[in-house]
Amino acid sequence: MTSFLRGGFFVETAVRVRNITKKYKLYEDKWGPIKEIFTRKKLHKEFWALKNITLDFPKGESIGILGKNGSGKSTLLKIITGVTEPTSGSVEVNGSLVFLDVSSGIDSELTGYDNIFLKGTLLGYSKEEMMEKVDEIIEFSELGDFIYQPVKMYSSGMRSKLGFAISVNVDPDILIVDEALAVGDAMFRKKCMEKMNQFKREGKTIIFVSHDKNAVESFCSKAAWINEGELIAYGDSKVVASYYNEYMSGRKSIEEIRMEMQYNHSLEELFFGYSDRGLSIKLNGYVYNKEQPDAPLELAIRDTRVNQVLSKELVRIPYEKDPSLPERIKEKAGFLVDISEAEFPRFFKPGKFSFEIRYKQKDKWNYIPIWSGNVKMMDDEDHGGEIQGRYNYRFVVENNRLFLHIDNLDNVQEQVNKIWFEDHFLHIEYVAFVRGYQTTSPEDVRSDFYLINLDTFDEYMIPATVSETEEITENPVFNPQGKIYNYSKFHVSIDLEKIPKGRYECKLSYHMKKPPYHEMLILAWATKTANYPSEPYVIGDKCIEIQIKSKYLQIVVNDATKMGKDSSLQECSN
Amino acid sequence: MFDIYKTMWQKRKMINELAKQDIKMEYAGTLLGMMWGLINPLLRIGVYWFVFSVGARAGHPVNGAPYIGWLAIGLVAWFFINDAFKLAKNSFRSKRSIIKNTPFPIAILPAEKVLYAYYIHLILLVAILLVMAVAFKSASIYWLQIFYYDFAACMLLIALGSVTAPLVAVSKDFSHFIDTFLVFLFWMTPILWSVDNVQSRLQYIIKLNPIYYIIQGYRDSFFYGVGFWEHPVYTLYFWGFIFAALVLGNYLFKRMKPVFLDIL
Repeated sequence: MTSFLRGGFFVETAVRVRNITKKYKLYEDKWGPIKEIFTRKKLHKEFWALKNITLDFPKGESIGILGKNGSGKSTLLKIITGVTEPTSGSVEVNGSLVFLDVSSGIDSELTGYDNIFLKGTLLGYSKEEMMEKVDEIIEFSELGDFIYQPVKMYSSGMRSKLGFAISVNVDPDILIVDEALAVGDAMFRKKCMEKMNQFKREGKTIIFVSHDKNAVESFCSKAAWINEGELIAYGDSKVVASYYNEYMSGRKSIEEIRMEMQYNHSLEELFFGYSDRGLSIKLNGYVYNKEQPDAPLELAIRDTRVNQVLSKELVRIPYEKDPSLPERIKEKAGFLVDISEAEFPRFFKPGKFSFEIRYKQKDKWNYIPIWSGNVKMMDDEDHGGEIQGRYNYRFVVENNRLFLHIDNLDNVQEQVNKIWFEDHFLHIEYVAFVRGYQTTSPEDVRSDFYLINLDTFDEYMIPATVSETEEITENPVFNPQGKIYNYSKFHVSIDLEKIPKGRYECKLSYHMKKPPYHEMLILAWATKTANYPSEPYVIGDKCIEIQIKSKYLQIVVNDATKMGKDSSLQECSN
Repeated sequence: MFDIYKTMWQKRKMINELAKQDIKMEYAGTLLGMMWGLINPLLRIGVYWFVFSVGARAGHPVNGAPYIGWLAIGLVAWFFINDAFKLAKNSFRSKRSIIKNTPFPIAILPAEKVLYAYYIHLILLVAILLVMAVAFKSASIYWLQIFYYDFAACMLLIALGSVTAPLVAVSKDFSHFIDTFLVFLFWMTPILWSVDNVQSRLQYIIKLNPIYYIIQGYRDSFFYGVGFWEHPVYTLYFWGFIFAALVLGNYLFKRMKPVFLDIL
């Protein structure tokens, strides 16, 4: 769990938690506890709120504790504050500690002023000490003359303000905040955050409990994640929060994250360039797993829209920058990968791509996004992560992950006008043009139509024939400047016998045959559903259906002979 | 063996502050305020006097002390013991929200409640003493002995509170049991009647009740001019009882704390 805490330098700890376990006994029978004493039978169920938690909270940092409701994070807090006792283990607190809790210890009959002293006493301050603080507290609470009114006259927001003002102004060394920041109005919240930031600057420790990863990420330097009483991760708040997010969004299980955390990884350098052979990318960084240094790893590049993945084995090289690593790990900790578009033709299309490391576990690939928070990007001519070739290529780091955005060099306007079946052919007619690129002869433009199988990613390319139309040129909406787009109508006929069964998405390319010679690839936009066949078309043993998925054209080729669960299949057989 | 009492001693300022704040809380929002601390017990004294003296015609002077004075002094002591004990046994339960949310030396709570009750008791005591001094035109040096008996009563109550508060925190049944037992004690302790009225063998059993030591002590100081050193065996027994109860209270608190913190 301490894998993120590198380096052996001495850090003063504010709170030291050692092997804390907390067990609750749950009885079904209210006489259970008494019966148990006499019968020596076990009549309770055990509930482990915390299982063997060991954590150090260093001085002067703000540490978040993440976890969903009921994960045990509040129990941990209560043990740290001494409100609850652990079943086993020890807690050591260095310095005065205040549990920021806005509601308890406030009596509604007393005035706000008296309550300041009441809560102060409960927190262990003498009357004299509180006298020194009381003005500051009243000012911070923004209650004005209301401070001399009984608290029962207050609104709930005013109560919280009072509670908060008292807790933060008694000046503790360690402040514990339990999801309490949702009090008061935005102005007051901001003030609270400022006060807490001031705390941080003064070198005080803040322990911040939340189930909201954003709050922890923005406010805390470190974070601990507790799930079902177990400490899953502890370290840099961004890293922990991203694991937490992966789990909470249902993308990964705890086991997968546990495995993943055994890997330390970082992408350090990225080189890229563009030549007549296409895009080339070189990645350099480190990845190692102390438990299994020899586990084979691959680099995976993912088209994030359709989840198409290509992979390449990592070349392991020695990594010298971390002297604390044992020799046997060091010699293979680094990695180098070379990717060239020539190896993976037609993979780097317009879209968004992510870079991950994958390893096999029980015949299933697990993917780890490479941590890329400190990557140095280098290209041949230093374009700051951006390069132009056939498309526009742009590398960016978002949430510490590296992404490649590929965009067309121009916008293609396109619409599928008509779809019809004829024998074993599927006909598609569409218009496509690029604003400002005039097409006065059929030689000016070429377009190809692609069917891409969404499971296998097999591609079928069908060249389109271009024909003359005045549809665009004469339309003032499309053509306010009066340019000529006469050759913008295209037709493809797809031989259905050559298309195997499956679900296909449709893309089309637009090639400019004169300057600037750009080449665009887009998804086929199809919104004129009235012009498309609504019934499935059966030919031979195939049943073809036209579907529009969020305005984009998809073609489903099914088996017409088989009855299936799929609704489209049923329609075919009817 | 006396850890929680050490804490009480170390936090005596805090106990005092909290007790004062409790008084504030109790009477905040009332018009008569502390007057209620007088009105209620005086009315009760009046009622008992009426029932026994007028109703039951039992209001004869006790060993030369006028019945109404004798009754009032005994009841003043009893009210303190009764109120303080009830508050102390419930001290963990009544401060539940604070215990569950604020890091706080909760062992001091029974003592805090005893002190709170003592402050209320002092008002009544002073008022009664003033009335006595005027009505019977007498005052004696033995009145100062009241402070000794107050101290003894406070120690007794802290001990009883420390023993019972953890039990009550674990189960409300204990609270009901103690409330019932207190009613029994009220009538079985010679407060409304004189111990001389029963045969001497029974007297020994009655005297085993340490509350009697306080009640009788009050009366000795007021009417009979008897010092506590004049019955050393009984005094020794009383302090022995307190010692044992304190040890038990400390043990129970230590033992039960992890349990009641979870189920409170």
